Amino acid sequence: MSLSGKAAIAGIGATEFSKDSGRSELRLAAEACLAAITDAGLTPADVDGLVTFTADANAEIAVQRELGIPSLRFFSRVDYGGGAACGTVAHAAMAVATGQADVVVCYRAFNERSGHRFGQANKGGGAGSLGMEFSWHLPYGFATPAAWVAMQARRYMHEYGATSEDFGRVAVAMRGHAATNPKAWFHGRPITLEEHQASRWIVEPLHLLDCCQESDGGQAIVVTTAERARDLPNRPVLIAGAAQGTGPGQMMMFSYYSGDIATLPAMGRVGEQLWRQAGLGPDDVQTAILYDHFTPFVLIQLEELGFCGRGEAKDFLKDGGIELGGRLPVNPHGGQLGEAYIHGMNGIAEGVRQVRGTSVNQVPDVTNVLVTAGTGVPTSGLVLTAG
Amino acid sequence: MQGEPTVQGEPAVHDELMALAERLVAAGEQPAPPCPDAVNAAMVRHWTQALGDASGAWEDVAPPAMIQVWSMPGLGAKKAGSVADDPLRLLNENGYTGVVATNCDQTYDRYVKVGERLRSTMRFGGVAGPKRTAMGEGYFVTWFQSWYDEDDRRVAEMLFRVLKFQPKRRGGGGRPSGAKPGKYPLRPTIGLDTRYFWDGVDDGELRVQSCADCGALRHPPGPMCPECHSTNRTYTKASGRGVVHSFVVHHHPPVPGRTPPYVVAVVELEEGVRILGNVIGCEPSEVEVDMPVRVVFQHMDDELVLPQWTPSDAPDPEPPAEEAEPDGLRIELTPTFVIATALATRDFTPVHHDTELARAQGSKDIFVNILTSIGLVQRFALETVPGGELESIRVRLGVPAYAGDTLTLTGERADDRTLTVRGAVSLGDHLTATVTFTEGEAR
Repeated sequence: MSLSGKAAIAGIGATEFSKDSGRSELRLAAEACLAAITDAGLTPADVDGLVTFTADANAEIAVQRELGIPSLRFFSRVDYGGGAACGTVAHAAMAVATGQADVVVCYRAFNERSGHRFGQANKGGGAGSLGMEFSWHLPYGFATPAAWVAMQARRYMHEYGATSEDFGRVAVAMRGHAATNPKAWFHGRPITLEEHQASRWIVEPLHLLDCCQESDGGQAIVVTTAERARDLPNRPVLIAGAAQGTGPGQMMMFSYYSGDIATLPAMGRVGEQLWRQAGLGPDDVQTAILYDHFTPFVLIQLEELGFCGRGEAKDFLKDGGIELGGRLPVNPHGGQLGEAYIHGMNGIAEGVRQVRGTSVNQVPDVTNVLVTAGTGVPTSGLVLTAG
Repeated sequence: MQGEPTVQGEPAVHDELMALAERLVAAGEQPAPPCPDAVNAAMVRHWTQALGDASGAWEDVAPPAMIQVWSMPGLGAKKAGSVADDPLRLLNENGYTGVVATNCDQTYDRYVKVGERLRSTMRFGGVAGPKRTAMGEGYFVTWFQSWYDEDDRRVAEMLFRVLKFQPKRRGGGGRPSGAKPGKYPLRPTIGLDTRYFWDGVDDGELRVQSCADCGALRHPPGPMCPECHSTNRTYTKASGRGVVHSFVVHHHPPVPGRTPPYVVAVVELEEGVRILGNVIGCEPSEVEVDMPVRVVFQHMDDELVLPQWTPSDAPDPEPPAEEAEPDGLRIELTPTFVIATALATRDFTPVHHDTELARAQGSKDIFVNILTSIGLVQRFALETVPGGELESIRVRLGVPAYAGDTLTLTGERADDRTLTVRGAVSLGDHLTATVTFTEGEAR
């Protein structure tokens, strides 16, 4: 028995992406969910399931109340920061495939720029197991996501000879894509590799332009059965693969204590499941949405997912390899570096648009798209296919 | 001023404020409230005792930094008007509700003698803004007070400047929470499974957990051996030698308790496990992958010790405490000190003596008043330059000096006549000051 092809994404909806929404996070969640439900040709009364991130501040029942959903029969949350993104759709797909729900809305909404900013120094995780993890790190001033990623990036550079310019090529590609996406915060503002190199250090070896922006906004995704999706207005986007994963000795961003830290084993675990479930391989996708909170992990993801061999990503992305028109266009919407940081959920929406053929930066002849979630943490991924 | 960017203010309010300021400046010097007492030995003695000035230099003349004390109205006196009242009120009514004193400059024409009767005047200096500052958008408001003797000769003048600002919409403050004065703010949570490690650090040992049954080593530790599932845990003492497996150099954003740039490294120990720490005792640019390092134990404060890493050929870091102690004048800001000095300067504003009220107004505790700060600058200056005669003290005010903190004054001679003074507390600089001395012979 396989989940592949049983569920579909029928609707997507988002608020504007900004630096100061001026609205409550709950309002952003309600607006994004309503937009997605409307896009699917449904009403809130059709919704019977909600899934969000453990990190989200908006309870499922609060969103239910705002939307006037009569009742829910499925609700769940997925943990580990941005690693949850595709996991919410995986949970929703499992629910509709098994009859636990008919229509599930996955959402993420926050004022991550004007409210609580993840990029600032972390204050720790209390006395539970997560607090203990943080206690081996925070006392040393090792307190920000950029620092946690930089530790793996340095080792990756040491092992494979990758350079800051190689990381910079990711930023240049993402900002180039965002430049032609009117919804992107950095619409009309591409950067050069020289500007990347000249940007200030955040945590060596990461420059400012290796780090994604911080954003306010909400994004929602409507999941239903493949069968029902065929009766709805949009071209169905089938969930051909949906997986979560962790690696050995997994920690929350601190998996430094065994094995090769120039790798992302959790993403490898997700990738192998996705390809198996979908019956596809790296050559079968026309574009990929790779989680780009920090540039170095885009390189390592290309390797973990089989688009190139270990240490070869720097060559893969030279000469526009991940740009529109390249061998694998990555994040045509501009990613989190260019469009907005909505914890990976806006990337899923772009995957849907690419399969529908409605993206502003449409890649030609898309039938399959790979989408990934936050890396360095327990993560998740999707393969989306034209229905 | 001071390079803060100018921003667009509310046009109508701005124009009204500027017109008001112009009228007030044109009005010139105005009589100020009378000085209730003649310059007298009792108040001088109270002041010198409260501020800890044991020089014995103030028998016939009053300390110059006391000048404002003579015109303070005292407890229960009718609130005296000030030339700045109207612009301050206008700003308050238009959302510029925050206030912080930024400058207090005193110039002394001569020292005043015990028995002299003084009178004072005030004049409005001006308004500058709107400026974007760390506190929020605001206007700087400046006024002057002068003191005259019985022959109408000026004896001293003071510039006073405040920033009236619009408190930022969210949170504000920006000071990291959880930091106590003198306490390193980044503290580990210690639990049943990790206590042995921190006990070892306190004893100068680097302990690595080992399974009491199968012997497998593990760091970070946990309650069950992932190899054989035994819950019998013990530890081995590590040699403290390893190599840098990877590292980062932190620049931004600010981390409480830390001064960037600093290095964080994953160190692979000889025993085969990895551990995270800072590399200290060398420049960040000298750190590289595979560099041999050895453990050192760094005292972060009175209680917390962290195992850290230093190049294997580097000397041990300087022991803490004694050597780290800066030279200068250290003043323990006990509640008694804060309150006694406030009263000795005839400043009865509750935030200087009433803890509950100070907290209700958003302060952490009662704090040292400005008349005392400038008095302490005088004390430090004359202890540093014995026999010098003060011409002026110009103070730029910084973070509050709260009760429970320690104020450390240090100084540097800029030239024969100039001393720059810094007064630091745990939150940062409480004040920076420039003191000038008169030419010629000491008094």
